[in-house]
Amino acid sequence: MPETILEMRGVEKRFDGVRAVHEASFSLAAGEVHALMGENGAGKSTLAKIVAGAVSADSGDIFVDGSPVTIRGPRDAQRLGIAMIYQELDLFPHLSVAENLVTGNDKFKEHGFVRPRDMDRFAEPVLRQVGLTCSPRSEVRSLSTGEKQLVSIAHALSMQARIILMDEPTSSLFDDAAERLFQVIAGLKQQGVAIVYVSHKMDEIFRICNRVTVMRDGETVGMRGIREVSPPDLIRMMIGHEWKPREREPVAPSGEVVLSFAGVTTGKLRDVSFELRQGEVVGVAGLLGSGRSEIGRALMGLDRCKRGKVWLRGRLSTIKSVADAFKMRIRWLPEDRKLDGLMMRMSIVENATISDLKRLSSMGFVDRLREREGALSCFQTLSLKSNSVTRAVGTLSGGNQQKVLLSRCLLGKPAILFLDDPTRGIDVGAKEDIYQIIGQLAAQGVGIIFVSSELPELLRFCDRILVMREGSIAADLDAGLTSQEEVLTCATQPPVSEAHA
Amino acid sequence: MRNQSAMRFLFLALLAGAAISCNRSNSASTPEGKHQFFVAFSQANNAEPYRAAQNDLMTKLFAAAGDVKLVIADAQQDNSKQVAQVETFIRQRPDLLIVAPNERAALTAVMGEAMEQKIPVICLERDILQPNYTTLVRSDNVEIGRMAGNFIRDYLVAKYKQPKGNVVEIQGLLGVEAAINRHKGAAEVLQEYPDIKIVADPVADWIQARAKDRMTEVLRAQPSIDVVYAHNDPMAVGAYLAAKELGREREMIFVGVDGLGGPAGGIKKVQDRILAATFVYPLCVDKTVEIALKILRDPTFHPDKEYTVAPQLVTPSNAAQLYQQSTVTP
Amino acid sequence: MRSSSSSTARQSFWKKLTGQQRDVTKSLGALIAIFIFASLLSPAASDGSNIFLQWGNLTDILRQVSIVGIISLGMNFVILTAGIDLSVGSILALSSTVVALLLTRWQPEMGYAAQISIAIGAALLISTASGALSGTIIAIFDVQPFVVTLAGMIGIRGLAKWLSSNANVDVGFGQDVASLFAAIFRGKPMIIGFYVVLAAIFSVLLGRTVFGRYVRAVGDNERASLYAGLPVRSVKLWVYSLSGLLAGFAGVLYAAENHQGNPNSGVGYELDAIAAVVIGGTQLSGGKGTIAGTIIGTLMIGVLTNMLRLNNVDSNVEMIVKGAIILFAVAVQKQGKDVR
Repeated sequence: MPETILEMRGVEKRFDGVRAVHEASFSLAAGEVHALMGENGAGKSTLAKIVAGAVSADSGDIFVDGSPVTIRGPRDAQRLGIAMIYQELDLFPHLSVAENLVTGNDKFKEHGFVRPRDMDRFAEPVLRQVGLTCSPRSEVRSLSTGEKQLVSIAHALSMQARIILMDEPTSSLFDDAAERLFQVIAGLKQQGVAIVYVSHKMDEIFRICNRVTVMRDGETVGMRGIREVSPPDLIRMMIGHEWKPREREPVAPSGEVVLSFAGVTTGKLRDVSFELRQGEVVGVAGLLGSGRSEIGRALMGLDRCKRGKVWLRGRLSTIKSVADAFKMRIRWLPEDRKLDGLMMRMSIVENATISDLKRLSSMGFVDRLREREGALSCFQTLSLKSNSVTRAVGTLSGGNQQKVLLSRCLLGKPAILFLDDPTRGIDVGAKEDIYQIIGQLAAQGVGIIFVSSELPELLRFCDRILVMREGSIAADLDAGLTSQEEVLTCATQPPVSEAHA
Repeated sequence: MRNQSAMRFLFLALLAGAAISCNRSNSASTPEGKHQFFVAFSQANNAEPYRAAQNDLMTKLFAAAGDVKLVIADAQQDNSKQVAQVETFIRQRPDLLIVAPNERAALTAVMGEAMEQKIPVICLERDILQPNYTTLVRSDNVEIGRMAGNFIRDYLVAKYKQPKGNVVEIQGLLGVEAAINRHKGAAEVLQEYPDIKIVADPVADWIQARAKDRMTEVLRAQPSIDVVYAHNDPMAVGAYLAAKELGREREMIFVGVDGLGGPAGGIKKVQDRILAATFVYPLCVDKTVEIALKILRDPTFHPDKEYTVAPQLVTPSNAAQLYQQSTVTP
Repeated sequence: MRSSSSSTARQSFWKKLTGQQRDVTKSLGALIAIFIFASLLSPAASDGSNIFLQWGNLTDILRQVSIVGIISLGMNFVILTAGIDLSVGSILALSSTVVALLLTRWQPEMGYAAQISIAIGAALLISTASGALSGTIIAIFDVQPFVVTLAGMIGIRGLAKWLSSNANVDVGFGQDVASLFAAIFRGKPMIIGFYVVLAAIFSVLLGRTVFGRYVRAVGDNERASLYAGLPVRSVKLWVYSLSGLLAGFAGVLYAAENHQGNPNSGVGYELDAIAAVVIGGTQLSGGKGTIAGTIIGTLMIGVLTNMLRLNNVDSNVEMIVKGAIILFAVAVQKQGKDVR
């Protein structure tokens, strides 16, 4: 029985009052590869980051080699022999491989002047270990993604890490690079290095992992040995047994087609085709990076269509900018409300009205009365309560901020609405309010595209669900007839699924 | 909370610091008993050696007088600053205002205001557009220009047995009376001789480094130069350095203006044979202080509108003697 | 009983103000403190009156800060978009040179009023065009404002020097058209009046118009502004054009005030303008700031400088004090950010 090298119990973490990790427990044995699975937002990346010291837990116990430890930052983690390889590899692109390995590395003992020769000598053994043949002096940005990943692993090894956490390591790798990775992992296993493998991909997990822990809504719902379990079992654990009743009866498609994508190909999208009708709510599901937000970008004229066309009510779309889209009464809610949505230092009312000022002004002067009325009536519709409307929007809670952005959309009296993850990171009460307004809008005939990572939510509201996978539509499902399993399966498995064969 | 009170404390400390520096300036050197005359002097730019020498001499002479408090303000070659400084002086109602204008046009109006406020004004060395002063003390730059022209002509005649040759004239800040007149006087003399040609007349703003750059460009364009006439000594020296770098310093002679004493001044340069000649451009401070004291002490004294102080030619023959005599250190 | 109710009344008044209004009030408080301080430290005139508080001195201060003050108005807009304009000093020089040249070296067959109008118009036009050029490169080619306006600073001054052959263009005191121009525009009331009127116009522009809102939004979050359908490029272009226009105004007034078109003038004015804007509470990161704050910042520098000069402090100490105020003002703002 290999010894337990890492154990966590009762770990808690909140972000802005929203629970990311709750009562989580996890154990890791030397020489094992332990998978950490869950849907988007289940908390697996956060849990891994807690171990790596990138995020500090609010409470909970962590034991390394049986003794309790506190990990306040990455250096603490490094000293305990823990290293993490992030999904967006955090290498320095214009430094060399050796320089990357050496930076911030406690195991590289040089003071003052550092000679390239010393760095080479330090780098060579670990590079060989991971099978990298490039020179330690090559610039990192000249390497392929697969090679960069191996450099990250070499970095971890050069810190003599005994615990390596990998966050979605093959998400941007192609076939043979992934193979090389698996060989390296096999080698590390033999040396007794323990690996936490955060991933969605069933086939990989069943291929290389010993055990799997599933997370859902921030909790660790179960741990199984890989031979004791099957992919459908895991999916059921990820989804859970709660089943919310349908909030909306799916509307049979009867209205005119207000929006249609025909073979649209942009930088990220590949041959995307679908239709949206009046009063319809179409959900978009898929893993992060599968192209969900890119549909919105193509619609709003931010990404150019290399191939294919977008039709609006039967007419070719001439939208080249967001302002054009607004003229066609299309409004949207970007994915990241802080970075892409709100003007943090401006007031609530100003944020709500910023897209419609031309209408709310006369001769260039803002009509403050009309502006206030317009904004307040939207706020009322959304049940947004604030003791002062001149507060800066940055002081509001996430839910209220989202309502401000929605007010901005509503003020434009849109015919088509694209909502990108509107309920992410907000509290339950605000979510309900938003669900209500979506229902009302659909009843009024607005065509809505609803991107979300929460499957229950999509199943509750949408008439149809488009499942995205690697830039194209993997499935166009009827929400009333499908299930979470089916959606998740389409999102994660390649269309010809060997696992189910 | 703690930060807020720290901020208030810092703010008060800042004000206190300003207060202390104000007080220190105010109570500087006031001997007891006697009635102190307050003389305000607005200087165009302390950074020029000529003007620094003016400041030193003026401080010395007024201190020797015993009953004068002198305050000097440095406009750092900025017109707006000088106007503002003179305005502030006017508010303080000095017994006498001395102004060395940075530029003629800019200072004319504000000196008129001083006159309107019944403050006597001495305009020092540089003229302004209208006679808004009690008296102007200057040296005759046109006369210097003429003397320079004569010197150049005599040198060329000695060299070529006839009045011909190539002359480079390096000018000071255009629009300033000194530059205009040092050019005018020399041109008056030299235009009589069609074979004496001014082959280049770059502008170097009185600054040595700029003169060196301009001269380098001229050297590249001109194959043969006999005389370099610069409107002040630092520019002449700059031209010399430029020529030296290209190995042509023996081809020509260098003539400057100012003739300050001391190791960095023009007289020494003539002694060391770097400059062939210079002209002592008097600081005009002796005369100014003399007139100033008369104005202050004798209410019935009416000064002339203008006083001229004579320049002097410096050549290797009298350089050593003049150097000994020079009591002024730049 | 009474004290608590009046303190709660004060509290709710304070709460009613927006964050921006609170900042301006704080700055105003600091200005008043400095004002009182300066009058306390002021030397006395021969008749015993307080020199600092003399009407003539106070209006002197206003006039002394007006030209940089006008430039600061434009700089405020630019900085609000998280940009910067280093070329304003050079535009001032160009404007003063152009207006002086057109009034001294051009002798057309027209009345004085017409010639003066054309000269001023030409100066303003070329100034605005300079600003628009910078704005175009910044908005359309997405080059950093610092770099573009730095290039402008150098190039535009070169143009000014070339136009006048690096000479000053003197405007006399006679009866000619140039002297008339100077006589009209050089007076204290005229210069201060221009500053006040322009400040009022631009205050309204920022606070009450759609354009002003757009400027703040673009500075606060440019990407979000783009995603919200705002004409980001257009806003940037206008902002730099306005900055050029205001620098042009300042240049025309400078020429009148100093009786001179001077291609070497205005050196360092851009830094003074930035200092006033920053002290007045506008953050260099954009989005936050008011014209009122900038005016207060301008006045603060003016009053402190005057206080030092009245007490005959070495003029180099002025610069040290200015630097200290800037650091202090920024430190206070940074602390304020967390309180929000």
